[in-house]
Amino acid sequence: MDERKRLSTHYERELHEIKQNLLYSGALTEKAIENVLASLLDRNSELARQVIEGDVEIDKLDTEIEEQCIRLLALRQPIARDLRFITTAIKINGHLERIGDMAVNIAEKVLQLNEVPQLKPYIDLPRMAVIAREMIRGSLDAFVREDCQLANRIRRMDTSIDTLNEQIFRELLTFMLEDVRTIHRALLIMQVSKNLERIADHAKGIADMVVYMVTGINVRHEWPGDAPDDLCETEREGG
Amino acid sequence: MKGRLFFKIFATYLVIAVLAIGIIGFLAGNQIRAKLEQQIENELMAHARIVDLYPLKEIEAHVGEIADIAKARVTIIDGEGNVIAETDPEAAVLGSHLERPEIQEARVRGSGKTTRYSRTLKEDMIYVALPIRKGPEIVGYIRLARPLGEVRKTIEEFTAILLQSFLVILVSSVLVAFLFSRRLTTPIRDMEHFTERLRRGETPGTLMIRSSDEIGQLAENINYMVDELQRRIAALQEEKAKVEAAFSSALDGVLILDSQGRIETVNRGMRTMIGERYRDIVGKTPLEAFRNLGLQKALDQYRSGGTLVSQEIEMGEENPIMLDVSITPVRGVDAVEGKTMLVFHDLTRLKKLERMRVDFVANVTHEIKTPLTAILGFVETLQDGAIEDRETAKKFLSTIARHAERLNRLVEDLLTISNTELGELHFSFESVALSGIAQSVLHMIQQKAREKNIEITSAISEDLPLIRADRDRLSQILINILDNAVKFTPEGGTVSLSAAPAAGNEVVVKIADTGIGVPRDEIPRLGERFYRVDKTRSRELGGTGLGLSIVKHLMTAHKGRMEIESQLGRGTTVSLYFPIAGTPSPDSRS
Repeated sequence: MDERKRLSTHYERELHEIKQNLLYSGALTEKAIENVLASLLDRNSELARQVIEGDVEIDKLDTEIEEQCIRLLALRQPIARDLRFITTAIKINGHLERIGDMAVNIAEKVLQLNEVPQLKPYIDLPRMAVIAREMIRGSLDAFVREDCQLANRIRRMDTSIDTLNEQIFRELLTFMLEDVRTIHRALLIMQVSKNLERIADHAKGIADMVVYMVTGINVRHEWPGDAPDDLCETEREGG
Repeated sequence: MKGRLFFKIFATYLVIAVLAIGIIGFLAGNQIRAKLEQQIENELMAHARIVDLYPLKEIEAHVGEIADIAKARVTIIDGEGNVIAETDPEAAVLGSHLERPEIQEARVRGSGKTTRYSRTLKEDMIYVALPIRKGPEIVGYIRLARPLGEVRKTIEEFTAILLQSFLVILVSSVLVAFLFSRRLTTPIRDMEHFTERLRRGETPGTLMIRSSDEIGQLAENINYMVDELQRRIAALQEEKAKVEAAFSSALDGVLILDSQGRIETVNRGMRTMIGERYRDIVGKTPLEAFRNLGLQKALDQYRSGGTLVSQEIEMGEENPIMLDVSITPVRGVDAVEGKTMLVFHDLTRLKKLERMRVDFVANVTHEIKTPLTAILGFVETLQDGAIEDRETAKKFLSTIARHAERLNRLVEDLLTISNTELGELHFSFESVALSGIAQSVLHMIQQKAREKNIEITSAISEDLPLIRADRDRLSQILINILDNAVKFTPEGGTVSLSAAPAAGNEVVVKIADTGIGVPRDEIPRLGERFYRVDKTRSRELGGTGLGLSIVKHLMTAHKGRMEIESQLGRGTTVSLYFPIAGTPSPDSRS
């Protein structure tokens, strides 16, 4: 009895640790996006380099979290909720790692952009970055609170990012059509925008997993607008 | 309680009494029975021996008398076992008596005795038998028997006495147990009530027990303990109240983490500091609650080092706040349970001030450098020969003069600001009629307004009370505001000045223009030094970026205030509130 209790608390501590590591990784990626945006707006190459270097830490956490999850799966054979939690953690971990990589991609483009004069004042890019960051933060909040409603709201935010991305694309297209010399810069900006859009996709992926974790329903391949209103009420115990 | 103790004592007495009487009854009863039986036996045997001295014929003849003397049943048996004489008429005389145990014993050993149930008399009997001899030959037996009823009766009497004494003991032990238990339980019950009230948290006063034995000592100890306890509780409560007051009223935010690193306590300061976004943080780890990298790094550092960590972190995203967090262990009674205290100190204002100071220096340098560069440039050109060309030289000189004048204005403005801030600007407050000053100021500004074709109107109510102001500073305030109004109003616009009494012993002066206006979120920053909404335009218009800042300072010195409303593209209204003369003011600054 005592032994079992000790084991179970140990087990719970391991689950807790995975959660903490994931959140730490989340905090790092949020910071990376914040920094990369600042490096773009302030034309601060030093900050961009910091983002690139900082990705090492996210990568290290990625490996660590994965190992923790696999160890737990192998040694404890979790069932029901715990199993869903661990599978969710593995996927969220992957998303966060990719987001970190994309922040690095953006930082690399920023370094190039900072070498040349600014093409235009950035208006929509910061908006995208803010929304993307909000989505990461919100999805992780939803993960912490196991808040399906919030996760669902985050999933719907993805559309506004897509709209902004298209808007930027059209705007840059006109620049390029008017003046060939802008093509290089415009393409770089376009890649920044594309990466932000991908980051938002990953944030939505995290939110999808939170919905799965809470309800047991897989919504990954569904249009967020199609989600039934009572999606979150079908909360499932065990399963 | 009393009952229980009573029964305990009573039962003890009872057990002892039963045991004593039981043992006495058993042992003494046996002893008495054995003694009596022995006595009877001896008596019978003695009679039998005497009788045995006589020849058979003689005995046979006197059987009746023998029975009377010995108080026994006498049986004479011949050598073949036939009963020759029998005193008990009911006894059966038939059959051989030779195999009766007492007879057998008598034949073999010379005397016999036995105690057995007599079927003839249906009673326990003691039998004693002796052989009657004629020479060595046994010619018969004499047997004496007496019933044991006598013994039984004696035993019964004895038992009756025992029972009577048992009853007496029973009654007296009930009585004693009752008295004793009452004597014992009354003070104990008092103590019990006393401690019960204490347990419920009442103030029970002092326990009154007059007794010098152990119970009295115990009561005294309890009294002492209660006093001590109450003193300590009071001290602890006071301590707790102090800590709580400090904890909850502190402006600094305090978080306490339990041994698992989860947030256990949040004080009010912390709640106000972090605002609405971070609700329900109790029970979460700081990482779950804030997901703040800086905080987490500070915590990690603390955990790896275990010593005090102090770090600056940024929190929140729209309006980030700068916090200084100190992490210290909470030393509790249990040293193993490592709680952690995080104290957050809001540095936002400090940081902002610091930035403003840095900005200010940068701005001043910049503002001074621009006209200086121009002046130096033109002087150099003049030195390089332009001075020969009279016309150009004249033009250059006037430009130099303009820049020098701007420099001069800037330095004067700066002086005004720094003097008001240092409190070294001397004000001579008096009761002033606003209308006069307003008229002269309007007159001064008229010239400039005409150049831009701006119409200036004024509406000052007749019954305006006098205000408390310094004449020169008041004109300076009005000039600055009106100058701004004219400056930022396009040609053909209007600037209006109005003054009217306002609520709260104040007079409000409103200066409204139809100018370019100010974006809503820039309004709060208008009083900052060198803050310009549109930097290039303002400088073109010859502003130093200090005008409104000066007004703000001067209004504060006047114990008044300035409010700005604006709509972008529509115009701006500046409202100046002055205290009415004679209003008691808490402090009259010289």
